[in-house]
Amino acid sequence: MFKKKILILPVLFFILILIIFFYLLIIDRNPSEIPSALLNKKAPSFQTNRLLSDKNFNSDSELIGKVNLVNFFATWCKPCRDEHPYIQKLSNIKNIRLIGINYKDNKKKTKEWLNKFGNPYSKIAVDKNGRIAIDWGVYGIPETFIIDKNGIIKYRHVGPINKKIYKKIVLIIDNIK
Amino acid sequence: MISTLGNLFLWLVLIFSISQLFYSRKNNKLKFISFSVKGLLISSLLSFFLLMYLYIVSDFSVLNVFNNSHTTKPLIYKISAVWGNHEGSMLLWIVVLALFNYFMFKLYNNKNYKFISKSLEVQAFITIGFVIFTIFTSNPFEKIFPIPDNGLGFNPILQDPALAIHPPLLYIGYVGFSAAFSFGVATLTLKINKEVAWYNYMKPFVVVAWSFLTIGIALGSIWAYYELGWGGWWFWDPVENASFMPWLIGTALLHSLITVEKKKSLQSWVLFLSLLAFLLSVLGTFLVRSGILTSVHTFALDPSRGIYILAFIGILGSYSLILFASKAKDYFDVNYFSFLSKEGAILFNNIIMLVVCGSVLLGTIYPLIVEAITGNKISVGEPYYNTIIVPIMMPAIIIMGIGPLMSWGSKDKVKILKKIAPSVLITIISTVIIFSFYKSYNFIGIVGIILSFWIISNNVLMFFNKKTKISNGMILAHLGIGILILGITGSSVWQEEKIIKMKIGNETNIQKYTVNFKEINEIKGENYIALQGNFVVYNEQKQVITNLKPENRYYPVKNNFTTEASIHTNLLRDLYIVLGEGNMNDGWTVRIYNNPLVIWIWIGSLVVFIGGLISTNNNLNKIKFL
Repeated sequence: MFKKKILILPVLFFILILIIFFYLLIIDRNPSEIPSALLNKKAPSFQTNRLLSDKNFNSDSELIGKVNLVNFFATWCKPCRDEHPYIQKLSNIKNIRLIGINYKDNKKKTKEWLNKFGNPYSKIAVDKNGRIAIDWGVYGIPETFIIDKNGIIKYRHVGPINKKIYKKIVLIIDNIK
Repeated sequence: MISTLGNLFLWLVLIFSISQLFYSRKNNKLKFISFSVKGLLISSLLSFFLLMYLYIVSDFSVLNVFNNSHTTKPLIYKISAVWGNHEGSMLLWIVVLALFNYFMFKLYNNKNYKFISKSLEVQAFITIGFVIFTIFTSNPFEKIFPIPDNGLGFNPILQDPALAIHPPLLYIGYVGFSAAFSFGVATLTLKINKEVAWYNYMKPFVVVAWSFLTIGIALGSIWAYYELGWGGWWFWDPVENASFMPWLIGTALLHSLITVEKKKSLQSWVLFLSLLAFLLSVLGTFLVRSGILTSVHTFALDPSRGIYILAFIGILGSYSLILFASKAKDYFDVNYFSFLSKEGAILFNNIIMLVVCGSVLLGTIYPLIVEAITGNKISVGEPYYNTIIVPIMMPAIIIMGIGPLMSWGSKDKVKILKKIAPSVLITIISTVIIFSFYKSYNFIGIVGIILSFWIISNNVLMFFNKKTKISNGMILAHLGIGILILGITGSSVWQEEKIIKMKIGNETNIQKYTVNFKEINEIKGENYIALQGNFVVYNEQKQVITNLKPENRYYPVKNNFTTEASIHTNLLRDLYIVLGEGNMNDGWTVRIYNNPLVIWIWIGSLVVFIGGLISTNNNLNKIKFL
């Protein structure tokens, strides 16, 4: 009798571990959550070309005065396409600027891409060699930052925006507006 | 075009594995089983080589190639990039599964057909699980449009020769245990121990898996040592643990299989281990691929993948362990044996391996358990593992020297003492000599040296003693472990580290060496540019020993920096220099290590591997006569 009961133990232990893993998979957690070293600091400044006009983009003047949503994207990045509908929804929020930063991309292709899927951005800055992304500590694209009126980084999200993150972003913007 | 073909073959793999499941279950049509097994093997190989071709020609219309390759990359890394990413490595996993599946099928004859077809059925089920996972959540042939001009490049830290062959070897290890798992499930289901010597079938597969796992883990360590530039070779990273756990269970399984073979005892125990080894291998995959933990190996953060693998482990594990709980009593035996016999020694070692494995498992998942319950993030580091595992391992190593000399079932103490006397003597003498020379006393260090001399002298004596009938494979494998312990002890106990800021022309000392920072240059590699320091190392007599040239590389494609340590190796120590941050005016941060005996870790692993291969060959010959 005793021996038989012992034989059940591995199954029970195994199932217990599975339940813990399952719980960790479904709860809202991000094991690679990398708190931005720049959080609550001024957004790093940069100057670069704009994608759709010949003018320059100067972050010192452009990222101040209004709440800005800065989104790093590229046409070759599939998750960027996945989050695109949410970016478009975000562009409907009033009194914010949605700045796109086109990361290591081809100008012509980006224009085609924006024609095809729609252009939600107020302005698009070009990060041809990825220099801006390094300064901003970008971990992988897409990546989205919320910058308040004073040019301070308030929030950072690594990875594509989904429904949950979308709601979170709207909430944060409402709070700091 | 080619990618469509590759995808087609991947689907064929699924179809063949389903037909294998179906026909081996019915178990009456050898022709159809044979057709499925061969079809499975051929289509998986074709699919794999087509993906490799896509990498070689840099076809960026395939998302996987685009994400992990670049035209400027050297050919060898274009090829190794095939399995250097999640999707491609799953395809490799399937290929190895198909290979083992084929070898299992080759054992089919009219005496064991029930047993083999049941095993093939289980194997087909496992294959189906992995193929569905690959096709639907991680398809390497997924297309991308518009077609990009060039790829994103391959993580430069993975561009290393040791790492190019590390995954395939490791997978032979992991997947090899699937054969043991299938044999185990088949044995439990069929209650077949009276008719078929199931353990004889299981053993060569376990020996192969274990040997390849050993060398695979060693290569991973070599990579970490040369590429990461942290001066060490093992970091108790979750993924290292994920490979170490099946290795420990594999070690236990391997040894207790010998007991079953010789004395028919411990059968239910062996069946349990055969299930556990593979379950832990898959659990390792889960930990790596689900993104539940982060480490250098975490490829992708995709919860749907995690849930799929978890569900699959759930099915495999619950089914096999419940089967075990209900059937294992048929395999209980009544041949009790003395603790002072060979089987006693083996059982003792088994228990230690299991305890160590349990401790590693606990250390690995403890942070996850704490997070699940309290929401706090904690981490379990090296001190935990070192304090727990080193003391538990020590008795196991002492027994390892005595075990092979003991006889089955007997408990003649005097005989054993007589047998071990010469190696005890050699151990004592050589330890005394070594420490009177080096005079660096450290408790763990002394124990480590004694243990390694104990194992080495023991096995060398056994090798030359023709009276004992012990296989050369086993002697070599044990000898390798002895050498390994020597290297591990030396490099971890007597490592010396020096971190200083150096300007050009500066000098510093480590051990008896003087290191002079001569110059720094910019150099250009095939797909990177680098800053290369030039350090001249002198000995006490002011003779130049070597020029060490550590590099800081920049890979423009991936926008990534790596450090290349520069190492001077001899049989006694490694001199290891890493170039850190810095500039001309303030100087550079330089880390210099004196790592004693490191090379013996690699030599030891290689000797274990060769021993394993010899032993595999012997075990395969045994099957031929079944």
